[in-house]
Amino acid sequence: VNELIHATDVVILGYFLALNTFYAVLLVLAIPEIWEQTRLAEDEDFQRLMQSDALPPITILVPAHNESATIETSVTAILTLEYRNFEVVVVNDGSKDETLERLRHAFDLYEVPCTYRETIPTQALRAVYRSRTRTRLLVVDKENGGKADSLNAAINASRFPLVIAVDADTLIEPDALLRLTRPFLLGARIAAVGGTVRVANGCVVKDGRVTDARVPRRFLPGIQVVEYLRAFLFGRLGWNRLGGSLVISGAFGLFRKDYLYAIGGYRVASVVEDLDLVVRLHRHLQQHKIPYEIAFIPDPVAWTEVPESGRILSRQRERWHRGLIAAMWQYKGMLFNPRYGRVGLIAMPFFTFGEMLAPLVEVLGYGVTVLGLAYGAIDTTFALLFLVVAWGYGMLLSIWAVVLDEVSFRRYGRLGDLVRLLLYATLETFGYRQRTVWWRLKAFVNVWKRRQGWGEMVRKGFATPS
Amino acid sequence: VTSYQFLLVVAVAQGVLFVALVILITLNRWIRVRRSAAVHPRRLELDATMQRWALGQASTEDVLAALAWLPVSLAIEGLVTWSARVPSDRWQELSRGLESPWWARALRANYRSARWWKRLDCARFLSVAATPHDIGRVLRLLRDRHPAVQLSAATTLERIGSPVLVTAALEQLPFLGPTVQAYYASVLKRARPAVLRHLAQLFRRLDDPRLPRIIEFAGRLDEPVLREPFTTLATHPEAEVRTQVARGLGKFPHPESVAALGYLVQDEAWPVRAQAARSLGMIADPRTLPIVREALRDPEWWVRLRAGLALTRFGTAGRDALLEAEVGAHMEARDMAALILGLSPQGLSEYAA
Repeated sequence: VNELIHATDVVILGYFLALNTFYAVLLVLAIPEIWEQTRLAEDEDFQRLMQSDALPPITILVPAHNESATIETSVTAILTLEYRNFEVVVVNDGSKDETLERLRHAFDLYEVPCTYRETIPTQALRAVYRSRTRTRLLVVDKENGGKADSLNAAINASRFPLVIAVDADTLIEPDALLRLTRPFLLGARIAAVGGTVRVANGCVVKDGRVTDARVPRRFLPGIQVVEYLRAFLFGRLGWNRLGGSLVISGAFGLFRKDYLYAIGGYRVASVVEDLDLVVRLHRHLQQHKIPYEIAFIPDPVAWTEVPESGRILSRQRERWHRGLIAAMWQYKGMLFNPRYGRVGLIAMPFFTFGEMLAPLVEVLGYGVTVLGLAYGAIDTTFALLFLVVAWGYGMLLSIWAVVLDEVSFRRYGRLGDLVRLLLYATLETFGYRQRTVWWRLKAFVNVWKRRQGWGEMVRKGFATPS
Repeated sequence: VTSYQFLLVVAVAQGVLFVALVILITLNRWIRVRRSAAVHPRRLELDATMQRWALGQASTEDVLAALAWLPVSLAIEGLVTWSARVPSDRWQELSRGLESPWWARALRANYRSARWWKRLDCARFLSVAATPHDIGRVLRLLRDRHPAVQLSAATTLERIGSPVLVTAALEQLPFLGPTVQAYYASVLKRARPAVLRHLAQLFRRLDDPRLPRIIEFAGRLDEPVLREPFTTLATHPEAEVRTQVARGLGKFPHPESVAALGYLVQDEAWPVRAQAARSLGMIADPRTLPIVREALRDPEWWVRLRAGLALTRFGTAGRDALLEAEVGAHMEARDMAALILGLSPQGLSEYAA
């Protein structure tokens, strides 16, 4: 037994070292990337570009299912974005609440005939509406088919060559679209671009805009601020230099429509449709040897409402992990496959072993340590030191994300917010991290039981200034 | 080294890094606050001086002195902001003044820097302060390997209509993405005579694979002189060239354009037919009504859509044609006519865009 415990311990230690070395590489790669992006963001003369015809026309896709609390604010904010040529397609996905009624009332909708082809099959359309007050708005009412189905319906209805998927509970910063199109202005062969998603909870929201960025005082949403910073500011930036991330957030991502048509749009069966889409996009473009970039740029920002209760958060995290497991299993043919270049050789292995299996290894690590201590196979001091180092790594990565935000975009100006961020980054390791491991473990069980579905997501709506 | 010692070293390193990061954050805040307090009044001073200078109440030397006080990036930002507000003859006076200060000379020298951000600073500066003496620098920046530098350098073409720069920009055009092409088109409009001369030469290279992109760009210029070469290219063997020609000809209401479009609307490639139908609608010559009505029966949905939208631009005759098609025997034409007739005026204008 002692030998088995030792062997397992060595494997876990090796896994821990390999994974954290990779994180350190991402961290190092994120530094020049954020510096370059900050320079470009600062140096661009957006006013001039806004006055030119050079900006590509964009369709904003807004799937909405039971979003009556936020739909009016969100759509109003989207319609007043600083961009010359865009349209907004809102898809009411068979909402059971008053989403459509709110839209009808707020934007004076009238029914029009359907004037486009159903290029990607979707659930049956009920009606198509235009607004008497907002010419850029198109509302598609359809039978419930899920978020992916709604996005596909919105893609069918869109007129422009670039589409951006935005969650109805997401507030986009006024100049975010301008910033998001920067790679297109720089002439790169972009297939998709992702921007940063930040946490809106605790912020002051006025007329659908975050007017004062604050770090929430409540623990759960506060911790998620750090998580989002870590995921976006160094995770995805680092991936830019490694051949592109596998994730463009479904809450805020710009795609070339012709590529979406080529891969048949979003996959309805997937529970994490954004990850699934980007993996298929990589696969399609690599298979057809089409030169492309899937980039992340940090300065365009969208704000989203995150769960404030552990119950809702656990469902969300379980679903995200279930989607990850499903995607990695579905596209296992890409794993270590040189045909898919760096995506097959770096990104897929990382997401499979570093992300998907991480909770299993972590629980195994805790179990083996306890067993080792019980059997006297592991020295107590060593076990504690290992735990300190393992947790210390996680803490340092979170603090590093806070540092990156602080030296680049510095969205949280108040000292109190900074202190809270550092506090959350420090406390995340104790208790919260273990809870997320538990939620992600449940995803394995649910995959085993073939359980589908999203679970209920309750929206509070955005706070208004006091 | 035992694994215990290794972990101990890692733990100590983590502790040091933790402290270093907290110090870094604190220092960063402190330095930012100090710098902001020092620089902000100077930026306000520049704005005030610029304002007085624009009204003729301050000299160019005053502006140059205010600029010299600022960090380079803020000086460039100030210049870019004010360049759009001041008449061009007055601005040229300032541009000449910006040839001599040491910081402007240092900035100009950056056009050969190994660091792209320095070249970008130089390109942005030259985009508002270039004089004819800078043509060599701008030429090099136009051919820079970093797209941001190229884009900023292209902006200089709004100020200097040099044939050398125009030729360099046009040569690059086919290799640029559509969005950047559109941006080049907008900045090249000022240098129209030089652009047209060069385009005339490019149009003669019939086998050039860049021809479709050149025609697409030329179409954006809305220049009547281009109608003739466009018409000539209507029989080009490349479908992409014919598509761009069909698209561009709609801007030239002329009997020869109409004749060429009448030919293109029967092309074997549907994108050509769709663009030709659209252009016929833009010209709306009553004699072409039967051709557009026929296009409403095209096997391709997009051609039928374009033809249906085109018919709405023929006034009462077009509407009658749609009403007739709505009850006609041709199933697809009937569906399309019903769809078009059901659109609101607003919907129609949006589709026609």
